[in-house]
Amino acid sequence: MLTDAGPGLGAAPARTRIARQAGRSQAFRRVLPFVEAAALVVALAVPIVLSERTDLVTLATNVLILSLLAISFDLCWGLSGIMSFGQALFFGVAGYAIALVGRDLEFSQLWGTLPLAMLVGLLLAGLFAAFLLLGRKPPTSIFVALGTLTGSYAAERLVSGWQYVGAGNGLSSVKLLQFGSYEFVEGAAFYFLALALLLLVYAGARFLKRSQLGLVLAGMRQNEERLAFFGYRVQLFKALVFSLAGMVAGLGGALYSYHQGFIGPGNMGPGLSTTAVLYCLLGGSGTLIGPVIGTVTVEVLSYVLSDIDAIKQFWPVILGLVLLTVVMFQPKGILGMLVSDRERIGSYGRRRGGR
Amino acid sequence: MGIEVKLAFDLLAFISVMVLIVLGLGIIASMMGIFNFAHGEFVLLGAYTVYIFESSGLSAWAGILAAPIVLAIVGLVLERLIIRRFYAVPIIAMLGTYAIGLVIREIVRGLLGGHYKSISEPLPGVFTLFGVDFSAWRAVIVLTTICIIAATWLFLSRTSVGLQVRGSLENPNLARACGISTSRLYAMTFAFGAALAGLAGALIVPLYQLSADIGTRFLVQAFLSVMLGGVGTFEGPVLGAAAVGGMAAGLPWLVIPVLADPLVFVIALLIVKFRPQGFITQGRL
Repeated sequence: MLTDAGPGLGAAPARTRIARQAGRSQAFRRVLPFVEAAALVVALAVPIVLSERTDLVTLATNVLILSLLAISFDLCWGLSGIMSFGQALFFGVAGYAIALVGRDLEFSQLWGTLPLAMLVGLLLAGLFAAFLLLGRKPPTSIFVALGTLTGSYAAERLVSGWQYVGAGNGLSSVKLLQFGSYEFVEGAAFYFLALALLLLVYAGARFLKRSQLGLVLAGMRQNEERLAFFGYRVQLFKALVFSLAGMVAGLGGALYSYHQGFIGPGNMGPGLSTTAVLYCLLGGSGTLIGPVIGTVTVEVLSYVLSDIDAIKQFWPVILGLVLLTVVMFQPKGILGMLVSDRERIGSYGRRRGGR
Repeated sequence: MGIEVKLAFDLLAFISVMVLIVLGLGIIASMMGIFNFAHGEFVLLGAYTVYIFESSGLSAWAGILAAPIVLAIVGLVLERLIIRRFYAVPIIAMLGTYAIGLVIREIVRGLLGGHYKSISEPLPGVFTLFGVDFSAWRAVIVLTTICIIAATWLFLSRTSVGLQVRGSLENPNLARACGISTSRLYAMTFAFGAALAGLAGALIVPLYQLSADIGTRFLVQAFLSVMLGGVGTFEGPVLGAAAVGGMAAGLPWLVIPVLADPLVFVIALLIVKFRPQGFITQGRL
């Protein structure tokens, strides 16, 4: 009832070729490419339609940045079945790193800091993966989940007591992101920068999902033990994807830090980590576009409802109820209603007639 | 020598608090294999019950007695409605219980209005033993913890229901085949774990001010304690809680406090990494 990956690959034998073309058989119609195209059109139209309302453009930019975090979580959970309760850790640490580089080294060039943030995320996640996933005995999924949670919580506590990084107040007035002498302030330019990066990450993740590595990951979600018996070093694959997810989260954290001009202990704690889980599960995990839709839904609703005082106070309660409803009744998320299981999991071989 | 004794006593009191919180969590994790993220909120509800009793003019002692009962009912209802769906999927159970915890915590936060409420100790003052002053309320906590550990252990090892619990822990299918209703046992176990959390909350609220986050501050430490001690045993989580509680209270004396907090987590995780089965090996509850 509550499995993440659904019924699996079905009987279709996996081949090396990736079926890219849509609608090759009448019985099976792809929905995801249309959803993705629609999302892209909306994303391109937003700053043009909303050019009068700078606050809404800021909100939209924020949504794009948080989408990076949501995709990063989807790489862990939707693709490789690692429940990470600490995805915000990489987000926050990278955000802090570039804020410190801006403060102490007076450096915020785009070509330097964004790769740095990605590197920070990659290395930190790699370290976590090496500790939590690799080793002689394969770890239990509970250990990994609690390990990431603990890391996130410990980092939040450490940072909120550390004067050098601003302790509980966090780092504010982060140096603006620069490209040459151009400074990215909140607005359309930053929006398109975030959109471009999100598209790059999305394309990369989509490629990863449909590559041979993605096929191995799909098999792992289905039956990890069997894949291990086939000779795949399952934990190594997981560690690799976890590190890549950390890199994506790091990029998101850097953009967040530049965009908000602020990064605080709360941005690396379990609170934001579980919000990322909510984005992903609400939208539909494993689909990549689902987490983006989930982020948009949650953040836009939160923005609209925060104007109403009676609801504002109980917004976290509503979020909790939504999460509970999703995990109990609709574990496939919003997209699960539109997209068939077969498409959600992806197809890797040449199709032979309809199912 | 007075200062050392006092230090040891404070350490013991903190360990007792940890054990009280961890015991319920450990029993639920051992029996059903799920880590209850809402445990911190059960502690909070226990504390809140005492607050309601006190603010409505009743004795705080009545609140302390009522808290486990209230929480047992809450736990039973939650188990029947929600938790039992999650037994097959422990990872999803974390999310579900986290959501439950979030809902409870934010409702209580709304009811408290974001304020901190302090609750006076029902047994104030100190008593003097061998020329050293001890806080009376902390002594009550230590004694209660010892009594509860003893009672739980006797219940599990000496009664027939305890035997059923141990049987269903070892082999649920065989237990069902023998006519033991594991579903009922699970419901009872969950209610019992929740009741222990409620009692813990009721006892510790005079030490810490009542706020919506009173339970969450212990949650991660409690999880680590359970893993450290070993899931599936009774002694394990108690020992784990003693180790984590001892470290959490003792390390700030050795290293600077900022580092002490994360260091506890790092040490605990390292031990779990290299001894995943815990202090006590599985199957001995």
